Amino acid sequence: MTLQHHFPALIIVIFLICAFIMPLLFRWRSTLCAPALLLVHLLALAMAVALLVRLYAGGPFYYHLGNWAPPWGIELKIDFLRVYMVLILVGLGLWIFVYALKDLAHELKREVTGWYYALYALLIGSMSGMALTNDMFNLFVFMEICGIASCAIISIKESRECLEASFKYLILSAMGTGCYLMAIAMIYMVTGQLNFQLIREALPAAAGLYPNNLLVATALIIVAFGTKAALFPLHVWLPDAHASAPSPSSAVLSGLVIKIYAFSLFNILFFVFPASFRQAVPINEIVLWLATLGILFGSIFAMVQEDLKKMLAYSSIAQIGYVFMGIGLNQPTALLGGFYHILNHALMKGMLFMVAGVIIQATGRRRVKDLNGIGHVLPLVMIAFTVGGFSMIGIPGTGGLISKWYLAEGALLANRLFFVIVIVLSSLLNAVYYLPIIINAFLNPYEGREPVKPVSRLMVGAITAGMIAVIFFGVYPKPVIVFLKAALAAVIGM
Amino acid sequence: METLKNLAHNYYYLVAVVLFVIGMHTMLTHSNLIKKVIAMNIMDTSVFLLFVAIGYIRGGQAPIMRDIGDGFYINPLPGALILTGIVVGVSVTAYALSLVVKIYRYYGTVDADEIVEIRSREQ
Amino acid sequence: MEDQITRLTSRLVVPFIQVYGIYIILHGHLSPGGGFSGGAIFGASLVLMALAFNLSAGVKQISHQSASLMESGGALGYALVGLIALLWGGNYLANRAASFPLGRAGELFSGGAIPVITVFVGMKVASTMVTLFYNLIEGEAKVGDPEKPGA
Repeated sequence: MTLQHHFPALIIVIFLICAFIMPLLFRWRSTLCAPALLLVHLLALAMAVALLVRLYAGGPFYYHLGNWAPPWGIELKIDFLRVYMVLILVGLGLWIFVYALKDLAHELKREVTGWYYALYALLIGSMSGMALTNDMFNLFVFMEICGIASCAIISIKESRECLEASFKYLILSAMGTGCYLMAIAMIYMVTGQLNFQLIREALPAAAGLYPNNLLVATALIIVAFGTKAALFPLHVWLPDAHASAPSPSSAVLSGLVIKIYAFSLFNILFFVFPASFRQAVPINEIVLWLATLGILFGSIFAMVQEDLKKMLAYSSIAQIGYVFMGIGLNQPTALLGGFYHILNHALMKGMLFMVAGVIIQATGRRRVKDLNGIGHVLPLVMIAFTVGGFSMIGIPGTGGLISKWYLAEGALLANRLFFVIVIVLSSLLNAVYYLPIIINAFLNPYEGREPVKPVSRLMVGAITAGMIAVIFFGVYPKPVIVFLKAALAAVIGM
Repeated sequence: METLKNLAHNYYYLVAVVLFVIGMHTMLTHSNLIKKVIAMNIMDTSVFLLFVAIGYIRGGQAPIMRDIGDGFYINPLPGALILTGIVVGVSVTAYALSLVVKIYRYYGTVDADEIVEIRSREQ
Repeated sequence: MEDQITRLTSRLVVPFIQVYGIYIILHGHLSPGGGFSGGAIFGASLVLMALAFNLSAGVKQISHQSASLMESGGALGYALVGLIALLWGGNYLANRAASFPLGRAGELFSGGAIPVITVFVGMKVASTMVTLFYNLIEGEAKVGDPEKPGA
């Protein structure tokens, strides 16, 4: 067996090893920490690409940890969608990390940057694990690692707001994982299996015998992943957590972490529950309506925010609604839109949080009202903000339009005209709070005496790269769309 | 009557669910941060109880490999899963408690309502 | 805490607790218990030392630094044992498939990679207990000094 066969496990393991080494390395040679983590990201990216190549050659495959096949062992499943997620996680993780290299020096004390790197590696590793695993309990373990790591990269900046937000996040995320564990218990009770595929095979028989158990489990799963991914009424932790965290943490939390929970929910809904079960219980409808509420209310809450980062955080609640809408519509084109939006939103929200970080670092301003004329002093950064804002609204030439387009087309194909209206309405709502900032930033004069602090070129470079990517995926979406179409056709058979 | 009989047979599950709801309710509604952490543990423990109860068979032997004649083993898997769950629960608890210590240092209280009051007074 | 009874009792009890913890760790592949339980017992003995005497007595047993070194080392060891399986032709964390010597079931030296992993887990858990305790204690001790770096 060649080394390539082990890539699925290695992607996760090298991040974990990196996280374990980091405290030692930081004590020994602190300058080596950042290059080591960069190297791990690059290695993981290379491995993910190699997986993709192998998928094209041979189709989906499985990896059995410890050579134990299910039902005994943990199984990793590698298919196109999962590799798509891993590519996004590792690739954008690398991008945000490059930004973090310079930003952290500004926001954190030097002694804790080593720990930050360790947590970052743990976070990306556990998210890759969540994307690849095919086992309910293994998913739980990765969820908990991811939960702790994401709380810790908030609380590592020891301000009062961060600690409080982090505690709130921790309690609600513990509630989420508690619910998920209960759901596993309920499912294990009636099927005796933990592997996705084996549960799927055992469920129809069990559903006849113990329907109540499965109903409860379904509800718990929706609550669990809804809490983790900030589905509308369960979003209360998100604004504080994402707004008070250091900017790189905000970018990775808003850009990647909530997406991976949405993806896990998708995995469970589509690969654990058989289609007959999904028709008998209106899971998709519930997710769809909650997503709709989230899309509308997230934007409405965002309008009244005074703090820039809080506004972006509320906007994330609205945007994750699109992903859930794709899942809820249960229609291939809409799913395509949802999955494309995972990439798009990760890019643009990551970039917008980076922009917020640069503005705060350069001028010390974080209130929306104080951003008048900021385009004159930070032109490139504000152009990036403009591109991000346009993409949120869905103006042609940006990625946001493409995903909304496919979502709307999917809604039309599913004969749900109402949701097309929701999408259009939400674009208007987005315009209401993004456009004034952009207009004020460029058309009003800059007031303020204090000099603008210089910003590292690396940070501006990362933002520029993000801006180019947002435009690229808006102008030339074809490769990703073709890939996703094939992936969805292969994976779901729709 | 049928329902009552089912309940009497499956009282483990009933207890587990009651504990789960108690934990969840306290965690979400109580303002004392330490009590939230305790409630989180109650909630986790209820799930562990349910899991272990699933794996138990009346009269079964502990799953250690030895000669047990006509006897049978209980299911070892839930035990192994719960051990993992306990480890995870311990680490979350420890992290939550260290956060509470820090919060106490900044605000001088562990009551969420008082913290909100302090913050609103400062603004 | 200046209590003669606690001090004397814990001085008596601690060695036994530690031996018991090591026993549980080493027999992890033969009987219930293993790295986590044994490590927790061992770690508890160190915490007991620090509680019954004072923090410096506990630190004399194992300092905060070396505890966190051991913590990383334990986790790293676990991951590396998994990688060794790769070199020997199994999947990640494989045991028999990677031709680890299995020995005869029931003997102390048996089970291939499992006892090795158990020892690493025990090391990790014991040192984690200690670091958690130190972190909480130090966080408590420095009231009014919010500038302390992260735990």
